[in-house]
Parts: sequence; C-alpha cells; structure tokens
Amino acid sequence: MSVAATTTTATPAVAGALPLQSVGITPVEASLFAFVLITAVLTALFRDVLASIVIFAAYSLGLAIIYTFYRAPDVGLTEAAIGAGVTTVFLLLTIAKTTRPASDARFESINWPAVGVCGLFVGVVAVTLPAFPAVGDPSSPILTNADVTGYYLSTAYDETGAENAVTAVLAAYRGFDTFGEAIVVFAAGIASLLVLGREVFTA
Amino acid sequence: MSSDRSADGDAEGTITRQRPIYTESQVIMTTVKVVIPFVLTYGLFITFHGTSSPGGGFQGGALIASVVLMIAFAFGIESTRAWLSNTLVVGLGTVGVAIFAAIALIPMALGGDFLEYTAYYPVLGDTLGLKEYEFVKYGMEAVEIGGIAFIVSGVLMGLFFALAAGFTPADLDVTGAASDAPTDEAVGDDASNAATDATGEVDAE
Repeated sequence: MSVAATTTTATPAVAGALPLQSVGITPVEASLFAFVLITAVLTALFRDVLASIVIFAAYSLGLAIIYTFYRAPDVGLTEAAIGAGVTTVFLLLTIAKTTRPASDARFESINWPAVGVCGLFVGVVAVTLPAFPAVGDPSSPILTNADVTGYYLSTAYDETGAENAVTAVLAAYRGFDTFGEAIVVFAAGIASLLVLGREVFTA
Repeated sequence: MSSDRSADGDAEGTITRQRPIYTESQVIMTTVKVVIPFVLTYGLFITFHGTSSPGGGFQGGALIASVVLMIAFAFGIESTRAWLSNTLVVGLGTVGVAIFAAIALIPMALGGDFLEYTAYYPVLGDTLGLKEYEFVKYGMEAVEIGGIAFIVSGVLMGLFFALAAGFTPADLDVTGAASDAPTDEAVGDDASNAATDATGEVDAE
C-alpha cells in the first residue's frame, strides 16, 4: 500500500518481453488458468445445454478464484455470486422451458472456419501481451500514477473513513456512476416485466 | 432439477419434452435448510461491512437474493411465489431507488452538491454526535445498504420469478406453462405506480 510514496517514473519498456515468466507463474496459477481454459472450451463444445450451463458455472468459479488470487476480492465476490450463482440459476430456469433435440452426440461438431477466426483473434490479442506490465509489478504505470491510483490509495481512508478503497471509490468518489448503475439494475427488472408482458413479479 | 433430465432417447420423435421443473427431494430440502442461515448471515455481513472489508451492497444483495432462489429450488417455485408477496419484491427495488435518490438529492437542497455527504453535517452533526468526516463513511454505508443492496436483492428475486413464469400471452392460453402464470391485475397496480414514481423522481434530477 506504499504505492503513493514511490515517485519513480513508469518504465513500460523494461516490463516487456515475457511478463508471466518474469514474475514466475506458480503451479496454483497455472492449474487455475488451465481449469478456466478447459471449462471455457467445454462450455462451447458440449451439445447438451444443461452440461454447458453446469460447466459454465465451474468456469465462473475458476475465474472468481483467479480474481481473489490476484487480490481483487471485490471482483471475485461479484463473479462468484452473479456469474457462478445467480446466472446459472437463471439459465437453468430458461432451459427448463425449452425442449432439446434428441441426439446421441455428446459434443457439438466443430466449425473449423469459426475456430480459425477465433484463433486469429486470440493470436492478434496475444501479440499485445508483451506490452503489458508484469502482474503486480510495482513500476507499472497504473501503480505509479500519483494523480489517480496514488491519490485514492493515500487519501481514501482520511477523506472517507473506509478501509476498503474500492468501496470508497464506488460509493464516494464515483457515487454518481454507482447511482446510474443502480438505476440500470432497477430498469432491467422493469424491462423484464415489460418484455414478458406481466405486471407483477410474484402473484 | 438434475434428476428430471434423464428421460431422453425418445425413439419416436426428434424432440423430447422436459419433465416438470420441480421434483421434491429430501436431500436438497435438508441441505438448503441447513445452508440458508449461513448464506443469509454472510450476505448481510458483506453488505454491512462493505466499507471496511471486500464486498458491498451489490455482492451482499445478490447473496440475499440467492437465499430466496435456493428456497424456491428446494421447496418449489410456485409455493415460494405464493409465500413471497409481490409488494415485498417490488418494494425492495423501489424503496432502494428512493433511498439512494434521497440520499443523493437532499445535499443539493441543503446547498451542497449531488451526493455530497458532508452537507448533512451542519444539519445532523449535533443530533447524531458525529464528526464531519464520519458523515462520508455513514453516508456510503447508507447508500450501500439502503440503496444498492435493496435494489439488487429485489430485482434479482423479481427476475427469478418473472423468468420462472415466462411469457404467456393473455389471449393465447397454451397448455402447460400457461397454467402456472396467474395474472393478478389488482396486486400489480399499486406496485407499478410506485415504480413509475421512483423513476419519475430520477428523471427529474
């Protein structure tokens, strides 16, 4: 948390080359990444939608653990509660109203042109990876920026009395945005009633 | 819900129908009964400690709503729908918006800016016995608890029941799904009025 004290300027060029190796990726991280990757691919491959939804929940849980591992517990909690929990329930509810084609095939047939396009996109994005600073690099631009990150980390507690700087930003410094987000959630509930042609949630 | 998917491989057609959505299971009911108090407590903890530990109104509200979702999965959506009044679900969302909007707009009436928590200090400082900077923390907690957690838990519960009921056109009474979607006009009236009031207030600012 002594980020604000470091006044060294950012050196993005130095943090280049191979960011993951320079930090040293642990076996835990590697297995988490493998888990998320495999579940993501399986979600697309499984023909049975129920299986896809269950694996998608596992994918969200893996992501939540990764977020927590990289010290973003607020995002991890949201991913676990919304992604793995509530979204899964909503998707299950939705497919319970549908029918499925009877088929013996366990997996979708692979659309190779689509795989090629996706692979190309992943390749293009992967080319930009070396430009990112290493995970947790104290000299990365986002941490040495005294005007934004440094300001919040050094003054959030004094100005708001909140130990959790994330909440301080959400509810105090950027309270107007949070107000808009809360209204969006509320509007989504009203819109779902409109789309479904109902006037009440429960009756 | 997983057990009712086993009947596929229908020889005569390419389409197999789904079994009914609810199957009474002793295991699920007992598990949910045991787990619910802890989930609810954890949801409240995350909501109330959002300023000092990870979490906040959004995550806590989702956990509180998931308690209702678990009850519905264990004991049946229809019986849960009958148990949970529409006024409570809609009220959570609209009261949340009203509280958030009030906390945000009252400082403007007191001569401050939108969501300027310290504007409450000259008015309430002596009666509450709080220092000026403490109003920011308690203002944030009021927004997290009374605003965001209320809205998120109410809307998620509502979305769940709306999705479970599904789309049933009034004049097209198809078999099966239509029977479990009663359209109670009288109950919905005051609730939808409250909803338009709250959104009108938001538009005004």
